[in-house]
Amino acid sequence: MAKTEPYILNMGPQHPSTHGVLQVQLELDGERILGAKPVMGYLHRGIEKLMESRTYTQCVPYTDRLDYVSSMNNNLGFCETVEELAGIEVPERAEYIRVIVAELNRIASHLIFIGTLMIDLGAATGMIYAFRDREKILDLFNIICGARMTFHYIRIGGVCADAQPEFIAETEKFLEYVPKMLEEYDHLMTGNEIFYHRLKGTSPLTREDVLRYSMSGPNVRASGVDYDIRKIDSYSIYDRFDFNVPLGTNGDNWDRYQVRFHVHGAAAGDELHCLAGGFHRVLCGQHCLYPAGHQAHSGLFHHQSAGLYDAGSGGRLSDRFHVPSHDPCVFQGAAVPLCRCCDACDE
Amino acid sequence: MTKYIRKEQIEKLQQQFPGILYDAEQAKPAIYVKPEELLAVLRYAKEQVSFSFDRLSNLTAVDYKDYFEMVYHLFSRRYFTWLTVKVKLENHEAPEIASVTSLWAGANFEEREVYDLMGVNFTDHPDLRRILMPDNYGGHPLRKDFEPLVPKIEGGVLTWQKQNHIS
Repeated sequence: MAKTEPYILNMGPQHPSTHGVLQVQLELDGERILGAKPVMGYLHRGIEKLMESRTYTQCVPYTDRLDYVSSMNNNLGFCETVEELAGIEVPERAEYIRVIVAELNRIASHLIFIGTLMIDLGAATGMIYAFRDREKILDLFNIICGARMTFHYIRIGGVCADAQPEFIAETEKFLEYVPKMLEEYDHLMTGNEIFYHRLKGTSPLTREDVLRYSMSGPNVRASGVDYDIRKIDSYSIYDRFDFNVPLGTNGDNWDRYQVRFHVHGAAAGDELHCLAGGFHRVLCGQHCLYPAGHQAHSGLFHHQSAGLYDAGSGGRLSDRFHVPSHDPCVFQGAAVPLCRCCDACDE
Repeated sequence: MTKYIRKEQIEKLQQQFPGILYDAEQAKPAIYVKPEELLAVLRYAKEQVSFSFDRLSNLTAVDYKDYFEMVYHLFSRRYFTWLTVKVKLENHEAPEIASVTSLWAGANFEEREVYDLMGVNFTDHPDLRRILMPDNYGGHPLRKDFEPLVPKIEGGVLTWQKQNHIS
């Protein structure tokens, strides 16, 4: 057997599979990863600082840009925090619309995950499929708010405008398409042998690991921990829906893929309930003075749940607004060193 | 459905640690812990079965100009309850607090962020370095008295210098 020795390889910050700018200092022995050290800060935009000098209402568009593939969910998290702080009640119809757009955005965001996962594995075709279907959701958002990204649709106190009949009709059409879409992906990817062997057994995280690292979202559920903030915190009106939370067992990359894959079904189910529910009137953003105090709120962001924390001094400005990390992944980032190849990929 | 920890529970915590203060008038009162007691209180809240706050959901700091306040949001997966723990750091010039990485390894990056942006020093942290700003940066951007620095190349080295205001 050839003699090998470990060496350091810088991956990124400019690297196609970091999908942004992230540097990872890899410690390698041949192709085996012994350690991984993430280096962040290449895209530090200082949004928290910017928000300190703006009114709450003016802050909403910044939340669009926290993670621009799940803007609706970010809008929702911010607005709910401020509403809780100020005691603003949101009309029921607006709550339903919020859940519909947030879950649609979740599907769009997970489609990006699946598409980029495929392209990282060298399967450019898979990426095209996922982006084709994400496009359908962006078209829906285009109808409801006139934007395909950075929507600024959910506002403090409600949403910016009512959902048009056209939007509802098109959403229903899309929901009919979801099972077909999932079946197609299943044939294309899940059953693919190369895909399976690249994911199965790699980078397993134990239950203890994910808890120690305060991880959340699909990353926790892949390790078999039943933690879904929509279930346990039931913010907005999520407690009115009965949906499944898919769980994994091994916490490896395969389980992380499966958990995200099945989330689509659960999210689509949510919306069916929503559309079936009755709605009333919509209230637009309110301009008012907010009380002093502090407020923490948990909501589901992109691929994980994230809390938002707001310490207001009274008046229209927030004294300090904290988004745990600038992409809500600081806790997850701390766990990157745990991601190593295990014996399965030596073969 | 989650809820905030009940006041009787807070009183129990207070019996164990008499230094704890909270505002009983509030619906969701944060508990104020003395800096030297922080680790003991958090360990107790995490390991005592009657509390089981096994998840650190959030860790951050607020600059109140005269003092800093550390904020920890804990969650109990067993009882579905939340608890907010706050620590007042009186020394505004050089705030210092014990690191909680021994209890939750995931606090590593969050504490580095607070150190980088607020300048709070965490004792016994395994790897306390700047995380977002450049390594040779001179200030802490989220402090209220922060003045932005401008980049300047000097002798081929990137440095950060105070702005010359045009008066």
